[in-house]
Amino acid sequence: MSLENLCKLVEDGDAEEARALTEKLLKEGINPLEMIEALTKTMAHVGDLFAKLEIFLPEIMLSGEALTAAVDVLAPYLEASGGRQIKGKVVLGVVKGDLHEIGKNIVKLILETNGFVVKDLGYNVDSLTFVKEAEAIGADFIASSSLMTTTMPRQLEIIEILKSKGIRDEYKVVIGGAPTSQMWADKIGADLYCYDAKSAPELFSELIASK
Amino acid sequence: MATPYRHWEIIDRARTGKFMDEDDFLPKHFSPTLKKLIKKYEIKYDPNTPCPTDDGMADRIWQAAWDLFREVGYYNTDSHRIIEVTDEDIKEALYFAKPQYSVGSGRDERMMKHRSIEDSEPPFCILSPDITVDEKYHQSMCMAYLKEPILDGLCGPILEETFGHLIESGGPTEISGCIQHIQNQKMAARLVGRPGVFMVAVGTAEHDSGQIAVSDNDWGVQKTDARLVGSLTEFKTADTLLNRSLHYAQYGSYTGNLTGAIYGGWCGGSEGTAIATVAYSLIGLVIHGAMFNQHFPFHLNYGSNTTRELLWAISMSGQALARNSKLIYTSNGFANAGPMTEMLFRETAAHALVSTVTSWNLWEMASTRNKYRNRATPLEARLGCEVGHAVAGQKMTREQANDIAIRLLEKYEDNAADAPMGSEYHECYDAAKALPTDEHLDMFRRIKDEIAEMGVEFPY
Repeated sequence: MSLENLCKLVEDGDAEEARALTEKLLKEGINPLEMIEALTKTMAHVGDLFAKLEIFLPEIMLSGEALTAAVDVLAPYLEASGGRQIKGKVVLGVVKGDLHEIGKNIVKLILETNGFVVKDLGYNVDSLTFVKEAEAIGADFIASSSLMTTTMPRQLEIIEILKSKGIRDEYKVVIGGAPTSQMWADKIGADLYCYDAKSAPELFSELIASK
Repeated sequence: MATPYRHWEIIDRARTGKFMDEDDFLPKHFSPTLKKLIKKYEIKYDPNTPCPTDDGMADRIWQAAWDLFREVGYYNTDSHRIIEVTDEDIKEALYFAKPQYSVGSGRDERMMKHRSIEDSEPPFCILSPDITVDEKYHQSMCMAYLKEPILDGLCGPILEETFGHLIESGGPTEISGCIQHIQNQKMAARLVGRPGVFMVAVGTAEHDSGQIAVSDNDWGVQKTDARLVGSLTEFKTADTLLNRSLHYAQYGSYTGNLTGAIYGGWCGGSEGTAIATVAYSLIGLVIHGAMFNQHFPFHLNYGSNTTRELLWAISMSGQALARNSKLIYTSNGFANAGPMTEMLFRETAAHALVSTVTSWNLWEMASTRNKYRNRATPLEARLGCEVGHAVAGQKMTREQANDIAIRLLEKYEDNAADAPMGSEYHECYDAAKALPTDEHLDMFRRIKDEIAEMGVEFPY
């Protein structure tokens, strides 16, 4: 069983087998950084398949779980060898009054599998909670999703709270969700309009690079 | 004469049902069960037939949907418990479900009925932009839709602002916006001479408090009107939603169950989307006591349902429901393109054609992926409903519908991902008079002629 087999197990979403093979490959002396690099490429491939809907949400979620299982095994070794690069810390949630979270969950998965640490606040999240959680974990990004036009004003409310607390410049504020737009992002002063889940890692990386 | 249902038993079950962590419900319970049932009942999508004629598969989809609802239940996100149902519950609800309801009032009263496959009865036509609109155009747009003679019912545009204030869900601005919404809509109905017309209202209410605030038989949503209760994706509810169905029943208006199974999401592909759509009709009946089900299955990436994967799901779920129940259900079109584009007219025609022939009533038409303010007009809805009346009148077969749907798909399907956004309402309508511009009307007539040449026999 090889690294190639491990990548296949992740693509197929077999978490238990992926965990076991990761342990075996480590014992055989495979470099953990080499493994994480291969797994990252596999997950990018899975993400591409999902973006084209050649696979569906249940399949990519299983792949994500399998990747997590492998990464959990690798984590101590990665830390010993300098650690896996964390691209940024994100506080993510659906705004107050909104109970629709499928888009947020997909963004979370795509970010996590691309090297971001995500604190998922769930849905129907009070604006102040976004800010408090960002302060608590030292987040780089505050990302909020809204599926309803009447919950979009809560995205503005997050920015207003940041301004009121005098910490607006400490976070990159990202908005997304079906009714949102670049126009809305510009209007409320958000730093980024994330128009789809697939583009999120690249857009977030570009934004943090401009910090 | 609404269907009686056991709302207190449902409320009890929402509090006392089996506990499950919400994080586990979809990936570990819903999706694996659905996948198992797709395999068990041998449901198979065929991209070559957006409007299939497979009666056996329609019956298997019905059975799969029944099993799905019974095995998975319906999750209450507030109590973290599953509302479970039995075969007996479903059978009782189906037995008492009525095949027709009288809606609206006075001279504007209409009969909303169950339809069968290849039915010669025209579909009940609810016209709706399904979109938000600038406050200054709200009443004009309501009037523009109400001016359409083919309209049997109206679901008006949604307000984002009320007297200059952004509407915030759950807050006082929502209460105000909802009252403004229904009053604009009722005033528009009176002005165009259809004071008793059936309405589904109010879309501005995202929170239950907004709906409850407009329940008034004199100035608000009347008892001859309907209101919607939605689901959370997939098979989930919350107290704020259960509040609505209980309030609608206690107030005495009709309930519509609003659901959109997502193709590419937890339902997987077309097969799962069709099964979930049928199951949602059972959920609407048993959980919410719905008089009708309003379905808008849609594509995860596009937010539309006019591509063949979705037309197949709409067609098969309609056939499953028609062959096995007397339920009433509307097919809600979601197009990729925006107003005053040829693509939007063709998408609407394909959606209405396939839906009508496979037993659906119509709810037309969300345009521009239902995403952009002011981007919807009555003219695309008119075309969809005229197609519906035409194909019913000529008793079009599924084979004929399939052939025309494929020809229409060939004209727009490749542009689904980068569809034109078209124009805003006030750019292709005279907002003061609530009438389409000449340019818009010319395009409508041109595409209608094109569709007629494909074999749709318009009555006028």
